[in-house]
Amino acid sequence: MNSALDIVLAVLVAVLLLGGAFWMLTSALSMFHARDSLSRVNVLSPATGLGLPMIVLGTFLEHTRVDGFDVATLMKTLFTVVALIIVSSIASNVLARAAYLSGAPVDPRTAPQDLARAPGEGDQVPHSEDR
Amino acid sequence: MTVILWLTIAILSAAILVGLFRVATAPDAASRAVVGDLVFFSAIGIIAVIGLVHESAVSVDATLIASVLGILATVALARILTRGRR
Repeated sequence: MNSALDIVLAVLVAVLLLGGAFWMLTSALSMFHARDSLSRVNVLSPATGLGLPMIVLGTFLEHTRVDGFDVATLMKTLFTVVALIIVSSIASNVLARAAYLSGAPVDPRTAPQDLARAPGEGDQVPHSEDR
Repeated sequence: MTVILWLTIAILSAAILVGLFRVATAPDAASRAVVGDLVFFSAIGIIAVIGLVHESAVSVDATLIASVLGILATVALARILTRGRR
């Protein structure tokens, strides 16, 4: 029973670590396909929102498998995962806003572009395919 | 298990190398900032896995601090991009 659990944990760790690394590499390669910096900010999200939490979770399971369960490590891991998801979302938002304001060229189909409009100008119609 | 750990480190290193190459060929400064962020997060992943290779629990703390304070580097880059404007 104990050795079966050990094998299951080892397989789970391998899947989490390799899967997380796969998302990071996919994200890095997709940086070549994205056309403008706003798309690149979007492409970053799988790496920080899915890939890195998977790696952190995998390291926690491996520490548990080797050294036994530890509440402090569990709390640190949970805090890391939550911080990664929240921090990367806010950081992406700030960076995307700065990227737009810095005047980097964006895809002309990007809509709405409210940052480029005066406050009294009203809302812009979101992008639709029939334009 | 050691093979899997080193394979993970190899994939993450490949992600860093691809990211650095993209930083060198990026068309605008905003893209460089974004890809630099990706390199930073890949380095966090390598730190986490190195902790497993050396069976050291310190890397858990290092990962925690890096993921919480990683926003500072991004916000600083964002401020640089807009020349200090918010």
